[in-house]
Formats: sequence, structure tokens, C-alpha cells
Amino acid sequence: MAMIEVKNVTKSFGTLTVLKNFSVDFTQEGVTVLLGPSGTGKSTLLRCINGLETIGEGDILVNGRSVKEKKNLREIRLDCGMVFQRTVLFPHLNVMRNLTMSPMKLLKTPQAEAEEKARFYLDKVGLLSKEKSMHNELSGGEQQRIAIARALMMNPKALLLDEITSALDPEMTSEVLKILENLAAEGVCMLCVTHEMQFARHVASRILFMDKGSLVADAGGEEFFSTIRKENERISKFLHFIGE
Amino acid sequence: MSFYDYAYLTSNDAMQFVKATGVTLYITLMSLFFGTVLGVLLGLVRCSKNRVVRTLPLLVIEPLRNSPLVTQLFLIYYGLPMVSRIMLDPYPAAILALSLNTAAFMGVLVHNSVSAVPDGQWEAGLALGHSRVSTFCHVIARQALRLLVPQAITLYISQLQCSSLVALISIMDLTKLGQNLALRTLRPFLVYGIVFLIYYVISSPLAALARRLEKKLAFHY
Repeated sequence: MAMIEVKNVTKSFGTLTVLKNFSVDFTQEGVTVLLGPSGTGKSTLLRCINGLETIGEGDILVNGRSVKEKKNLREIRLDCGMVFQRTVLFPHLNVMRNLTMSPMKLLKTPQAEAEEKARFYLDKVGLLSKEKSMHNELSGGEQQRIAIARALMMNPKALLLDEITSALDPEMTSEVLKILENLAAEGVCMLCVTHEMQFARHVASRILFMDKGSLVADAGGEEFFSTIRKENERISKFLHFIGE
Repeated sequence: MSFYDYAYLTSNDAMQFVKATGVTLYITLMSLFFGTVLGVLLGLVRCSKNRVVRTLPLLVIEPLRNSPLVTQLFLIYYGLPMVSRIMLDPYPAAILALSLNTAAFMGVLVHNSVSAVPDGQWEAGLALGHSRVSTFCHVIARQALRLLVPQAITLYISQLQCSSLVALISIMDLTKLGQNLALRTLRPFLVYGIVFLIYYVISSPLAALARRLEKKLAFHY
């Protein structure tokens, strides 16, 4: 059964229609990569799934709950952890508090348990030594790794990753991608928007290619890079343009 | 100025200064308390997502911050009894006028401080599963406070000084006492010098506190 069902969604900003009658399902397994040129609605799709954008027509169901119902948003957001393009750690809290605040407030996790769990995830993202640091003492890559750990603290069923390496230099990008590869290997379900083709090649179990608010291709990782790219001129052109 | 000048002021005058300082502090503290409570409410309503709701506080804020405090004071003290049965004594009138004026400016400060927190902070809180209220309480408020507190203290200092206007409706505060003593002794430099010093002694620790809090609450985005 699909964990996320996107049903005929149309999303517009003023006169600009970003998603056009868009439908797709996501199961709670593997890594799905959303590819496509900028402005084709990839990030908007993730934001709609998380309820950060309202949708015009159609509906999105997460584990059977509609994002259109306000009362469902909390559960949906707990199911779908999200990490953004621009790092948004809470600047008034140190790394440990960034990780433990939400589980303690929302899931009523006791402090000691939350801190233990935070250390587990900090270790996983290779930043156990930074638990007392403030966000301005961390590099961009470290901040994104903390943001991933923070999202994982809420036990999400899926992680929505919105171009999380696009603001990072190549070294930091590889740090973050390595963490994602490790998480993928551990079976964490991810839905990510990225322009990192190497990452998509290695990790994606499914690739969706979007253009002008519509779904152009939906294929397995290997199939996409071998067959689909040859058959579809638009995809071939896009991949060629970004150096693939 | 010689020692002789001080002889114009009696020990009774010294007691009068203590009393008048008490009056100034009482009126200031009461109006800052009510003004802060009302101002925070106005500021938070200004932050509403609903366009109509967030416009409502402007009906209070705009007239109050675009007219002189002395006019507001006279309107309440002299004007209200002419158009209604409300006839306030000088103290309640002064506290009401100063409270409303403080509330208007505090409302603007609260709104500006909350608005200055980047939208990404709201989204990060919501995306973790917090409600808007919870995001505000646990994520936004602390960041807004960093901006608000030093500005609020500056407003408090300004309102303490503006409280001297209550002398115009016959309240025996520091300024009014200064006027009376200056007339009696014909030593305005001496008398207003003392009044000046008392205001300064009350205000300057607040200014120092504002600077300290600004440093203490500081963090970088």
C-alpha cells in the first residue's frame, strides 16, 4: 500500500501553475529521487506533502490522512520528516537542544532518553563531538547533517529532502551524501530532490523526472540512466546539460 | 553655585523630592505594566495570518503613535468628560494615557521583532510537527525576544521621561515639583538640576541593562 498518494494535484502561485494535475504514489521503501530542471515543482511537491503549502485541486494522502485537513498535519509531519535546502537549525539552541527539544515537547520523551537518542543520531552523522556547539560554530555541511539527525529524532516513516546539498561546496556535499547513502543502506525511506547525479545513480531505487509541473518519467534507478534517458529527448538533454 | 544656594531648599523639600519620585515611579511602572500587556497582545494579533484580524490592532496603534502624548493626555483628562460620563481623576487619566501610548509602541516592537525572525524558522518548527502556537512558543518567541528586549527597555526609558507630561494635569510628580520649587526659590538651575539627576539615576541603570541584555541574548543566524 502506498504511504503517500498524490492525487491529481494542481498547485498555483498567483497565475503561475507549478503542479498540473499531478499524480504519483510513494511506498515506504527505498530512495526516490526527484529530478528535473529548476522551477518544475519538485520542491513544491515536497512542501505540499508536508503541508507547508496548501494545494488548489486534488488531494495528498499520507498514510490515508489528507493534507487538506488541518487536524491531520501534525501526524503527517511526524510521519514525513523534512530537511530544507537552506539549513534551519534553531540558532538560540545548541546542537543537543536542537535535537531533543521537539521529541521532548511533542512526543513527551524524557530528557535522558532524548539525549541518549540524540547522541545515537549524532554519532550516526559523525558529529558526536559537537553536541554543545551553537549553529554558527558549525560548517554548512555539519549543519545539514545535524538537520538530518534532528528530523530522524522524530522517528519519521519517510524523510523528505529538499535539495539539501545545493548550498554546499563539493567537500561538504560529499559529507552529507555519504550520510544519506549510509541511511539508505540502513533502509531509511527517503524522497529527495537533488541535482546530484552520482548520488541518484548509486542510491535511488526509483527516479521521477518532472518538467513544467508534470511527471515525464517514473522508473527504477538503473532503468532511468540506461533506457529512459536514451528514449526521452527531454531527459537526455537535461542530463547532458548538467554533465551526466 | 555656592553652598548658600542649597539653603533655599529645606529638609521638607527633600521629602517632597522623595514623594514626587515615588509618584513618577508609580505612574511610570503602572503604565508600563498595562501598556506592555496590551502592547504584547496588539503585537501578537498583528502577527496573525488572517489579513482582517492583523489589521484590527492598527485601529489602536496608528492614531496613538501618530499624535503627541500630551494631546492624548488632554483628550482623556479634559475631553472625555465633555462627550461622556467618564470623568477620570488625574492619576487614572495619566496612567490610562501613558498605558495606551506605551501599548501602541510596544505593539509595533512586538510585531517587528516577530516578523524579523526568518520564515525558515517557522517552517522548520512546523515541519517537525509543532503547531503554530508551539512553534511560536518554543522557536520564534525566544528569537523575537532577543530583538524585543533591548528596544522595549529603550521604550521604557522614553516613557519614564514622557511621564513628566502628567505635570500638566496637576499631578505632583518630579517635574511639577521642580516647577513649584523653582518658582518659590527662584533657583531654576539648582532645582531642575536635581530633577535632572533623579531622572538620570533612574534611567541610566535601565540603559545599562538594555546593553547587557542585548549582549546576553545575542546569537547569529
